[in-house]
Amino acid sequence: MEGEIIHESTLYAEPIAHFGSFTVTNALFTSTIVVFIIVIIAIVVKLSIKKIPRGIQNLFEIIIEGAEDLCDQVTGDRKITNKAFPIVFAIFMFVILNNWIGILPLGGLGLVELTEHGRAWIPIIRSGTADINGTLPLAIMSVIGANIFGIISIGIWKTINKYINLNALGSIFTKVRKDPSILMTAPIMFAVGVLELVGEFAKVASLSFRLFGNVFAGEVLLASMGAILVYVLPTPFLLLEVLVGVIQAFIFAILTLVYYTISSMDHDEDHDAKHEHGDEEVKLSGAH
Amino acid sequence: MDSFIETFHIDWKIIIAQSINFVIVLFVLYFLLVKPLKKMMKDRTATITGGLNDAKVNAELLLKTKKEYDDVLANARIEANTIFQEGKKEALDQKRVMVENAGKEVEQMIASGKKVLESEKAKMIEEAKNEIVSLVVLATEKLLESHKDETFDKKSLEKIKNI
Repeated sequence: MEGEIIHESTLYAEPIAHFGSFTVTNALFTSTIVVFIIVIIAIVVKLSIKKIPRGIQNLFEIIIEGAEDLCDQVTGDRKITNKAFPIVFAIFMFVILNNWIGILPLGGLGLVELTEHGRAWIPIIRSGTADINGTLPLAIMSVIGANIFGIISIGIWKTINKYINLNALGSIFTKVRKDPSILMTAPIMFAVGVLELVGEFAKVASLSFRLFGNVFAGEVLLASMGAILVYVLPTPFLLLEVLVGVIQAFIFAILTLVYYTISSMDHDEDHDAKHEHGDEEVKLSGAH
Repeated sequence: MDSFIETFHIDWKIIIAQSINFVIVLFVLYFLLVKPLKKMMKDRTATITGGLNDAKVNAELLLKTKKEYDDVLANARIEANTIFQEGKKEALDQKRVMVENAGKEVEQMIASGKKVLESEKAKMIEEAKNEIVSLVVLATEKLLESHKDETFDKKSLEKIKNI
């Protein structure tokens, strides 16, 4: 039994190196490789930029143009697209490369470490998104970024009022004589604001766990299939995971774009406009 | 929360490291890829749009120039025709005047020729008359010399007188 090397898929990324108190995990290592790949690609593209596009420049121009058109369909406004696109594109590239590198069939590229259960094989490559420490910062930055974008777009007061609806509380004192029903609606609106705040944390959790869960499940699935029948059985699932990698990166990026778009909208204006429109309709129906 | 952190091995240092990785990707992609490519695409679009506009302007200019050329050519033709017609008319007028003048000159020449002829004729008749008179006188003298009698003289003299 001493010579047997065990491998089990863990929920967390395994450490592969230590620098003082800092532990380098295989997910962080993969993520760093992705950074290097992206830096190299970006430098190559930057150096090859010409007025008449060829090769890799052509490819990225097609990708950027297509992605911007797609973003326009979500935002409905080119100005929002132009501001949010760099972040969304970076998220997409970072996530997709992490997803794909994580499923590279690199065989026995790993370390053998002595654990309490015996000798264990630790893969050097694990997708950066198959670790919650990798997806959580992306989700946090996405949600915080969206709120900063909201502050820039509609102002700090309106952004704060989305979560702590002081306007609704204030309207109790200003509009109670004109509309006594405000005593009922204002606290509800305030509570909705608090729910929105909780929703922001839910966004972080949903974004990070969705990506982590899908990618991690894919890696476990591939490992399991490989254990049943090596080479043959994992191949179709490998192709499936390539597709899952694209879809998950796309979902993460598009959801980020949706959060950016929502945060740049002024709900009060829409609400007021609808309210005024409703009043006009009431007046018109009364006149008839 | 502790069990969550323990289960997933959440490590703030790794989270920060991953955040730094993403920020590097974000900046690198923005400054080395997205921004220059978008600028290049924008410039290219501007160049193509400019080229298309220039081509449109050139086509309009060409059309305008062609129209002007056609107009100038048409005007030149009309002008040339007018000049030709005027020249023709002037030439005809001049021809008519010249013919009239020539006719007058011919008439004058004929008239003067007739005059000269008449005077020559009159002169010739006068001369002929004088010649005849001389011849008659001479013939008479000769006749008289050959017939020197009284009767004859009287009769001849009478005849001569009647002449």
